[in-house]
Amino acid sequence: MQIRSLHLTNWRSYESSDVEFGDGLTAIVGENGQGKTNLLEAIGWLAGLGSFRGAPDGALIRIGADSAILRAVVVSGDGREQLIEAELPRIGRNRIQVNRQRLPRMGDLLGVVQVTVFSPDDLELVKGGPGLRRGWLDAALVSRHPKYGALRSDLERVLKQRNALLRSAGGRLDADAEFTLDVWDSKLATTGTALRTARVELLDEMVPRLGEAYDVVARRPAAVAASYESSWDDDLSAALMTARGHDVRRGVTTVGPHRDEVRLSIGAAPARTHASQGEQRSLALALRLGADSVVRASGVAQPILLLDDVFSELDPHRAAALLDALPRSQRLLTSAVGLPTPARPDQVLYVVDGAVRVAAA
Amino acid sequence: MSYSVTVQELIDQLGRLPGIGPKSAQRVAFYLLKAPPEDALRLSRAIAEAKEKVSFCDRCFNLSEGGEECAICRDPRRESRLLCVVEDSQDIVAVERTQEFRGRYHVLQGAFSPIDGIGVDQLRVKELMTRVGEEDVEEVIVATNPNLEGEATAALLVKYLKPMGVRVTRLASGLPVGGDLEYADELTLGRALEGRQLLDAGDD
Repeated sequence: MQIRSLHLTNWRSYESSDVEFGDGLTAIVGENGQGKTNLLEAIGWLAGLGSFRGAPDGALIRIGADSAILRAVVVSGDGREQLIEAELPRIGRNRIQVNRQRLPRMGDLLGVVQVTVFSPDDLELVKGGPGLRRGWLDAALVSRHPKYGALRSDLERVLKQRNALLRSAGGRLDADAEFTLDVWDSKLATTGTALRTARVELLDEMVPRLGEAYDVVARRPAAVAASYESSWDDDLSAALMTARGHDVRRGVTTVGPHRDEVRLSIGAAPARTHASQGEQRSLALALRLGADSVVRASGVAQPILLLDDVFSELDPHRAAALLDALPRSQRLLTSAVGLPTPARPDQVLYVVDGAVRVAAA
Repeated sequence: MSYSVTVQELIDQLGRLPGIGPKSAQRVAFYLLKAPPEDALRLSRAIAEAKEKVSFCDRCFNLSEGGEECAICRDPRRESRLLCVVEDSQDIVAVERTQEFRGRYHVLQGAFSPIDGIGVDQLRVKELMTRVGEEDVEEVIVATNPNLEGEATAALLVKYLKPMGVRVTRLASGLPVGGDLEYADELTLGRALEGRQLLDAGDD
């Protein structure tokens, strides 16, 4: 899929701006603090209904303005053109229209625009806590099989309900509470088992692609592995029963897919603690490339690639290798330091102080 | 600037209503203050009168007017062997519109939701068990909402009722009648597939 044009009103540093995107490789260049990332963030917002930098919606509205507006023309894989409009007011609900038709639910926009985002923060996927890796895997899962979105939100809700029940028990369960806990346990067992099965399957599909991507980006082949480490063995119901006393005392659910871990290793050593900074950075890129490749190969989506300032951290060889490894769909990248030498962008956009100018490539 | 005590009190009271935030409460308050006195008085009389005349049925906890039991519980033509369990009184109205159900009801007054502090003790579960024990109920139809909390409530009721030897059934979920298959969301359609029924050519 492709984004043809983007209009921004009162979005971050932009007062009012129109940008046309070419297909192929677009380089968005400019000095720091000029608004390059804000452009990608706007496209990312339309794909995920939130900032990929984790900023709350309120922070996306230009200071002093009451609402931000995004308007994008995207073309899906089958050539269909769609006009997407979003209004984010400071007070009240966001409004979203597709082809001038108002969407009854915000969530209906998910899947209309598909992106894969690469950002310097991805390093945290390797170095940070297990929650980030679960989030990475689940995001890929939902892009790959949209039906799992509902399963994930069910699971979150069951966990919230179960934890609320555990807290209200105050360390002791009477017969009634025991009974009601049984009900949430059986819900958690069904949804939790289904999510784990789906995650494991996806990871199996992903691992070979991960290894391939790592070898290309790191330019030094190494045995990269990702394994799923679950917080329970075969039977989640039984595991919840075993952990019950513990859970009641602590007031939280200590077994389930929310406690599982994706272990990453390079050459048999744990990547989180043993790999060098350079290896970790290559692995982070490989995680994004691998997830993108699984989604792309399944045919459910051909995401737009958004690369936010990833080249500043790579040496020229690896930067060139990454550019080369990217799938040949629309690629938008930002850079404050110029492009790796072999890059021949189809389009260069200069961003200066919230204004975007096209330069001849 | 802040409002006078009287105005602020009105805003605060309105703001305690479900679904009304501080902004809406302010808007409604100013609407009422600007409206002709008889309009505002009519509203306050309606509230007072409803509170005075309407109460909850002693037996099924539906809304009841002019008596300890509601009209459905008092109606002798209703079958007492069928008992339909719903979350709220509004759900009775929905089921009644079908004109398919001739049994009696039991209103739980909510669904099981620990986040909102609603457990077995906040719902009318014990009262339901008493009824099943004392009345000649043969089948309990669980008609809680088809969402997570409603399903959990249904699972909970089964646990309590099964040992009492009563038949417990659940409303089917599936496709809306008169709709198009292509517009069904995947969850509903998935459920409808799960609960598919055997087509029978009849006895020929």
